Amino acid sequence: MAGEIVVGVGGDGSGTSAARVAARVANMMNTSLVIVFGYEAAALGPRGGALEEEIAAVGAEATSKIRAEISRAYPTLDVQVEMVPDRPVESLVRVAEARQAEVIVVGHGGKGPLRAALLGSVTYELVHRAPVPVLVVPDDEA
Amino acid sequence: MTAVSMGKSEMASKGLKAGALGLVATTVIGIASTAPGYSLAAGIGGIAGKVGVKAPFVMLFAFIPMACIAAAFFYMNKADADCGTNFTWGVRAFGPGAGWISGWGCIIADLVIMPNLAGISGQYLLLLFRPSLAGNIWLQTLLGCLFIVAMCWICFTGIELSARSQVILLGTELVVLVIFSVVAMAKAFSGSGVSKIADFTNDDGTVDPNHVYHSIKPSLSWLSPSGVTAGAVVGGLVVAVFAYWGWDTAVSVNEESSDANRTPGLAAVLSTVLLLAIYLVTSYGVVALLGSDFISQNSGDAIYAAGKVALPTVMVKLLVIAILTSAAASCQTTILPATRTMLSMGSHGGAPGKLAQIDRKHLTPDFSTWLFGGLSIVWYVALVLISHHTTTDAYSASIAAVGLAICVYYGLSGYSCVWYYRRYLTKTVKNFFLIGFLPLLGAVMLTYIFGRTIWDAAQKKYTDPPSSLFGVGSVLVIGTVLLVLGVPLMLVCRKKYPAFFRIKPDPLDTIPDPYGTSGPAAPLGTYVKGA
Repeated sequence: MAGEIVVGVGGDGSGTSAARVAARVANMMNTSLVIVFGYEAAALGPRGGALEEEIAAVGAEATSKIRAEISRAYPTLDVQVEMVPDRPVESLVRVAEARQAEVIVVGHGGKGPLRAALLGSVTYELVHRAPVPVLVVPDDEA
Repeated sequence: MTAVSMGKSEMASKGLKAGALGLVATTVIGIASTAPGYSLAAGIGGIAGKVGVKAPFVMLFAFIPMACIAAAFFYMNKADADCGTNFTWGVRAFGPGAGWISGWGCIIADLVIMPNLAGISGQYLLLLFRPSLAGNIWLQTLLGCLFIVAMCWICFTGIELSARSQVILLGTELVVLVIFSVVAMAKAFSGSGVSKIADFTNDDGTVDPNHVYHSIKPSLSWLSPSGVTAGAVVGGLVVAVFAYWGWDTAVSVNEESSDANRTPGLAAVLSTVLLLAIYLVTSYGVVALLGSDFISQNSGDAIYAAGKVALPTVMVKLLVIAILTSAAASCQTTILPATRTMLSMGSHGGAPGKLAQIDRKHLTPDFSTWLFGGLSIVWYVALVLISHHTTTDAYSASIAAVGLAICVYYGLSGYSCVWYYRRYLTKTVKNFFLIGFLPLLGAVMLTYIFGRTIWDAAQKKYTDPPSSLFGVGSVLVIGTVLLVLGVPLMLVCRKKYPAFFRIKPDPLDTIPDPYGTSGPAAPLGTYVKGA
């Protein structure tokens, strides 16, 4: 069996298109889909406890919604969810490494090059750090 | 239905991230969170007004209580790394009432400083683009309000500059401050020094337009407290503790998240040493240039006024930009902690649950952030109006008021730490010193600063020239009214949220050994009265 397909999603439903593509790929390759919600509060200052719990609750809701949609489309597909309290890039890299994933699928919201250079871009950082191939899906596709 | 297979414990080693950031970036970000440029611009005038040339001594001395409380933060963080910090720790050590008031103190400290932060930003924005309009209080206020909105927006979107951008911005800030200080000291040392004719406002309010300010040769005696009264030192300290505000969380909380023997530990030490050096060098430079009177007379824009004398125009612009970026950076140590405390209080059920609402896209506490921003603007405009329509300089008195609020919640954090870990204090000498002695020393010092400032303010001797609001020192009014307002609010919450107020302080035998293997304490609210 091929390695699993890892897909990253956000709390606001971003990455839903990526998850649909990832589900299709996983289904085709007859492997499992792992939905990753990586989250971390702004780096400076205290960020544990209540903040982490509240964010995790948002993530749980968002991922279960996507999971439900995928399970309806592919009833036999094995769909798992990983909630990782770390930066999104870090979360995806770690999950992909730990599970020896086949490919990482991410959405791309279309951050401009200036914004990306100043603030950093998940997709940009990911393609340079990922241990496995990365598939980028425009957020409005699929 | 969800398989959460990779828990927090498996993800605990965040070495990758720290390694990716590197020593330079981690150090710079540690200093950045203290916002030295802004802290100096806002505070040095008030300090010089109290202690004259002894400003460097006060800058260094204020570090002691703050470092002591950082130890308390570090150890309490081991028991509970909750974003509510002192609020949560207060509940665990002393119960819900004390914790609630401690959290309130934190929110008030952050709220009280916002007008100053916004005012400085408005003023320096004008100094950068239209220096002739910098004295226009209404334009300044408008820009200040916009600045508050912009900062809240940054916190709401959770945008963070990449490490590289931060290094560039803050590197510039530090380099400009050091150049300014070195040039200022060189000028003071060279030949007969420099002099400048400018306004001098006497104690009785009359203005001498032809006062001559002279530079003075820097002296090691500026580092000793000799010749200044304890009251003056305390008056300087209440402002200076504010200069280190933010350093503690950066050091104590961020270090926790990675291996202590790696980059963050070294970066914490480095950033602390650098921060002390910068405060020392800059306070020396700014006092030496034209004397301490010049600084206290120009306390509104002290660094800019001194910079214009010492530096060429281009460098002055850079200095202004440095202070502006510093002010922007300090929003991370004001809005973030305030809203996270609000979130924690709401999330744990001690305050309206709405405060814990999280934006789905940005994963930030949106309601708390905008509520805090709105209150800041109301409070800012009110202070501007009070200052404008009365003789009260409520506006600059607010910086001493923030010192009071810091004393309250930092003091409570120190006491919380000592009391919480009481059963471990005598276990080792290290425990006794780091978990007992230092936090207690810091807390006692802050309590003294608090009590002394209130006492002096009540005597109307505090502000100079005396400013009076409702007949008492305005610092006292601003600081205490807001702090005391927490008591009736807490009683209202006690009525509305009885479940939270039934939480017991952590029972003695459940408190984890800070050097043990039992991990953090049980979740807040595990131990309830009558259960």
